[in-house]
Amino acid sequence: MGIEEWGLLPLFALLFFATWLTRGAFLLGGEQFQLPEQWQLWLRYAPSAALGALIAPELLLAHGHLVFKAELLAALAVALTLWRWRNPWAPFAVGMVVLLIGRSLLGR
Amino acid sequence: VVGDGWFGWSDPAVRSAFQRLLPLTLGLIPWSIATGLAMRAYGLSEGEAVAMNLFVYAATAQLGALPLIVAKAPLSVVWLTAAVLNLRFVIYSAAIAPVFRGERWFRRALASYWLVDVLFIALGPLLLAEKDPKRRWTIFSLAGLWCWGLWQVFGLVGIFAAAWLPVDWPLTFMGTIALLVLLVPLVRESAMRVTAAASAVVAVLAHDLPMKTGVIAAVLCGLLAGGIWRSWQKRRLPDEERPDGN
Repeated sequence: MGIEEWGLLPLFALLFFATWLTRGAFLLGGEQFQLPEQWQLWLRYAPSAALGALIAPELLLAHGHLVFKAELLAALAVALTLWRWRNPWAPFAVGMVVLLIGRSLLGR
Repeated sequence: VVGDGWFGWSDPAVRSAFQRLLPLTLGLIPWSIATGLAMRAYGLSEGEAVAMNLFVYAATAQLGALPLIVAKAPLSVVWLTAAVLNLRFVIYSAAIAPVFRGERWFRRALASYWLVDVLFIALGPLLLAEKDPKRRWTIFSLAGLWCWGLWQVFGLVGIFAAAWLPVDWPLTFMGTIALLVLLVPLVRESAMRVTAAASAVVAVLAHDLPMKTGVIAAVLCGLLAGGIWRSWQKRRLPDEERPDGN
């Protein structure tokens, strides 16, 4: 996959600040501060936007083209599992099984 | 914590808080295994995967960053994506801040590292209601350490189990499943559905923008669409909260 060994540790050190600073946004400063309602709303929507942007290409694209992939079937199965079943292992098991079956059926 | 027994365990309030947290944290186990497997599947070495778990300690940010790292996206895009995926914690942080009022900076810094979804959801209200600052810290630090330890240990299970699984298994999909587990409960709200759908469409259309900037464009378009949807909904039903589920 061509990842340079030396390249990733500094990257992770920088990513530490991405997660630590967001979690500590109102803890590290220490003073009391109320988050405006408009901001709260915006912050609440951001994860949905980011997740949509990260997941969709994985499910729909292969080598930059729209194709019908086993990943899409597996994602639907995961959504159905989450809707019907509380077990925390189930989405992973169902998703991987449907993906493997789908891949062998679609011949990839 | 001297005089409190081991980690304040003799305190019934501490014990009952931990008992409340325990079943919910079991959900961390499949997540941490999946994240460990996904990191290896994306080509990280064992050491790098362990380092990422220790440094970043945020499943969503980790899993979101991995495809971008492999695609050689520029540092700024990887960093921004990780931060955006973690923005929900800014809300948690604001909500839980009174718990750590008057604590030393080191404790607040450690709390910032330990704050995870399950801890906030399971113990947030209890911690905010607790009057004794010493007990608040005991409960939080015990819970934080527990979640962190669980994550690291089962992360290792995933990282080292990856070598035992067939090479041709598409294990990076474990990461996608984990992201879906996070997304599905969010999109029960219609404005969230619009946000996610709009950003998904833009991400697919803009996938070949240089340096993976399509992700950023998609996030911005998603937020815009969600905002427009919400204000349009408000105008249509100004007096009541709209019953969701259409």
